[in-house]
Amino acid sequence: MEFTVKSYRFNPEIDEKPYYKEYVLNDFPGMTVLNALMKVKAELDGTLSFRRSCRSAICGSCAMKINGITKLACKTQISSEIEKFGIIKVDPLGNMPIIKDLIVDQEAFFDKIKEIKPYLLGKKDYIEDDFKALKDGEKIKQPVYYKTEFQTLTGNNDTPNCILCECCYSECGGVVANPKYLGPAALAKLYRYSEDPRDNDKNGSRLVNGSKPAGMFDCVLCQACEEFCPKGISPVKTIVKMHEKAIKNSITFSKGAKHIIGIARSIQETGRLDEIKVAVDSVGISGILNDLPVAIGAGLKGKMPPLRLKLIKDMEDIRVAFKDLNLEEKHD
Amino acid sequence: MLKHDVVIVGAGLAGLRACIELRKRGVDAVIVSKVYPTRSHSGAAQGGVNAAFDENDSWESHFFDTVKGSDYIGDQDAIEILTSEAPGNILELQKMGVVFNRNDDGGIAQRPFGGQSFPRSCYYADAVGHMMLHGLFDNVLKYDTKIIYEYFVTSLVVDNGKISGVAAYDIKEGKFHGIAAKAVLFATGGYGQVYSSNTNALINTGDGMSVAIKAGVPLMDMEFVQFHPTTLKSTGILVTEGARGEGAYLLNSLGVRFMSKYAPKAMELAPRDVVARAEQTEINEGRGVDGAILLDVRHLGKEKIMEKLPQIMQLSIDFEGVNPIYEPIPIRPGAHYSMGGIKTDNNGRTVVEGFYSAGESACVSVHGANRLGGNSLLDTIVFGRRAGIDIADYIKNVDFSKFDESTVKRDEEIFENIKKSAGKERHGLLKTELQEDMRKNVGVFREESLMKKAIEKIEELKERAKNVGVDDKSHLFNTDIIEAFEFKNILLIAEIIAKGAVMRQESRGAHYRNDFPERDDEKWLKHTIAKLNPKGGIDFDFSPVKITKFKPQPRTY
Repeated sequence: MEFTVKSYRFNPEIDEKPYYKEYVLNDFPGMTVLNALMKVKAELDGTLSFRRSCRSAICGSCAMKINGITKLACKTQISSEIEKFGIIKVDPLGNMPIIKDLIVDQEAFFDKIKEIKPYLLGKKDYIEDDFKALKDGEKIKQPVYYKTEFQTLTGNNDTPNCILCECCYSECGGVVANPKYLGPAALAKLYRYSEDPRDNDKNGSRLVNGSKPAGMFDCVLCQACEEFCPKGISPVKTIVKMHEKAIKNSITFSKGAKHIIGIARSIQETGRLDEIKVAVDSVGISGILNDLPVAIGAGLKGKMPPLRLKLIKDMEDIRVAFKDLNLEEKHD
Repeated sequence: MLKHDVVIVGAGLAGLRACIELRKRGVDAVIVSKVYPTRSHSGAAQGGVNAAFDENDSWESHFFDTVKGSDYIGDQDAIEILTSEAPGNILELQKMGVVFNRNDDGGIAQRPFGGQSFPRSCYYADAVGHMMLHGLFDNVLKYDTKIIYEYFVTSLVVDNGKISGVAAYDIKEGKFHGIAAKAVLFATGGYGQVYSSNTNALINTGDGMSVAIKAGVPLMDMEFVQFHPTTLKSTGILVTEGARGEGAYLLNSLGVRFMSKYAPKAMELAPRDVVARAEQTEINEGRGVDGAILLDVRHLGKEKIMEKLPQIMQLSIDFEGVNPIYEPIPIRPGAHYSMGGIKTDNNGRTVVEGFYSAGESACVSVHGANRLGGNSLLDTIVFGRRAGIDIADYIKNVDFSKFDESTVKRDEEIFENIKKSAGKERHGLLKTELQEDMRKNVGVFREESLMKKAIEKIEELKERAKNVGVDDKSHLFNTDIIEAFEFKNILLIAEIIAKGAVMRQESRGAHYRNDFPERDDEKWLKHTIAKLNPKGGIDFDFSPVKITKFKPQPRTY
């Protein structure tokens, strides 16, 4: 079968502006988008530039937009793309500056990974403390950690399986809104270490740092990270878990945490979402004053929330639900 | 010019492990890598890392299994280090945050692997390489290490037998730099791209070995190339030995577990050289299935497959269109690992003072003529760690040597000349020709007439390589020119492999000669040493094998 690869091209050293270039190829059974790009590069046009390494979906080099959707080129079959779209259109990842063609600048992404302190905290350094080579017949005793302790890491969200391919980051609505936002991969890694039974983070510093501006409460819960992860990981689920954990541990200084608490309180008290009260709870009076122009604009368009809310009829059910969820005492 | 006490080239497991030892001692060590560290090929290792922990196991047994696996050409002093330091090294990883699967009693879970007399492979599902790579890289970040990534090292700079640093090409900017160092460690991995149908990443082009031999550092035992028995039929992507460790069967077209014929005791868990040859024999004698063998895991059941082999399941679906829960996976042998490499001592030192190597790029030698599954990850952490410690000691008492900038200028000219060349040969196509030829003629089964053909082909390609041009003439992120240079590296490595293999007139481990089917300890119980002569030809020499405990015996499984 003959098919067309249409690639985004831009080499700022030569080109004034980006353009698309088309290449016509023949497929072979099992051909992937990466195979196609490599064929173009080897046979037709050596200037086409992209990153690649393992070709088996474990190194995370070849993430790109394929027919508009962020994927790994190495595990995307030509046949299924052609069936759906009739063409292989490739573009560089989003949310990152483009260097050349399909190659983006990943520096900010990697800096954010480093920022969350991706290693066990609170342990002494281990310079030869108990390393040894065994002598004849000698045995070594391994420390015991129970399977269940590790299941939080390996059994639920599989965050250690992250390959840092940036698919989630490319599609992240939170990064669109705030380029400084840590993003799903870094936060999933934060979760991975905060859940590690060997981590000795006595002061809860991980969740405190993670709650700072541009941290986990900047997640807009759009679920894109889960949708686009090629390894089946759900960063957004880990982010929500960390929200819960932060609030349960009274790490509530962030606007985001206050917002969540405000909503819960409003529902507990009235069964309804009291938007004004939630806004005051989240950002305080001064924050409200800052946002006053927005509020007035909304008011003029008839979007003013009611000042007083009536209790709903089934308040008793709400109380029971709160009791069941064991949330009652957590608000103050 | 950049200047650091220690330059670590390559950021797979061996490089990262060495880096941690250096950084925790406060040494100014930097990582230089042609890709970002987590893109390194160590991450693709799937099945396990060996260490004798169990009460009923012993490191001496691991020691013997490895010597036997090496077909007695591994150096026994080195193998003793590898196996006796294994448990301590695994415990260190575990302290650094690496996750291993656990038994119900809380200990690290272990699975059987080929050629091992006890289940001693520690694992994380079927992605232990990924887990270790990211775990170690996270620790490198902990020590705030400078990572110079997307830099391609083209030469060693040596002054009077002492290392002065490296010449490196900044891929992003398209500029050459000298990097001066008191010590340089090459942890640059293998050369799988010499062969078509290989399990390796596209970046595994033997760069480190090639750069080292050009600087006068000998390579050892390069003719021993491991062919992994289970790689996906159409892509060569690895299917872990852990699948057989968990109980998978190998079936021929008659549905027969043919390993009973070749290794009646060990069956599917015979060492890789034995299984790869058995498969190829079945295929050659007409009992293959469309040129492949079937790996059947169906009897393990859905639950076990999803828990222990999730990556294999996904890879089979994505790359072969086969769901192993319901269908057997078509597999065949593919080039996988280089037992040979830069000749080092037990601390990673080479003949050039201050120049070290560890991991797959090095040949200590612990794998001899055939590496056992689960021993390569172990090799990276044991000898990566030892190299790190030794370098930290070494640099205390040395100064920077004179750095001759002419090497950097020369490499810059080579790159510029490739760019300027009007040559019509395409390196991408020459590479495919080379890979196909090496697979056919210097593969699982070898014989003189075929290998001579391969050498002729290599000579032809060397001529044609002079006319290689590149399309991309720009400075910015020019991957075209990198690939052209990588092709020259694999071409040199191919020549060393082929010539060494013709010379070794015996069958040992992964090196099997139809025309010399027996092991010949009298003549060939010795290492092959390859060097470049001033004319660019290859000179061979030999060195003795260190035998401390186990006298060579016939090797049956």
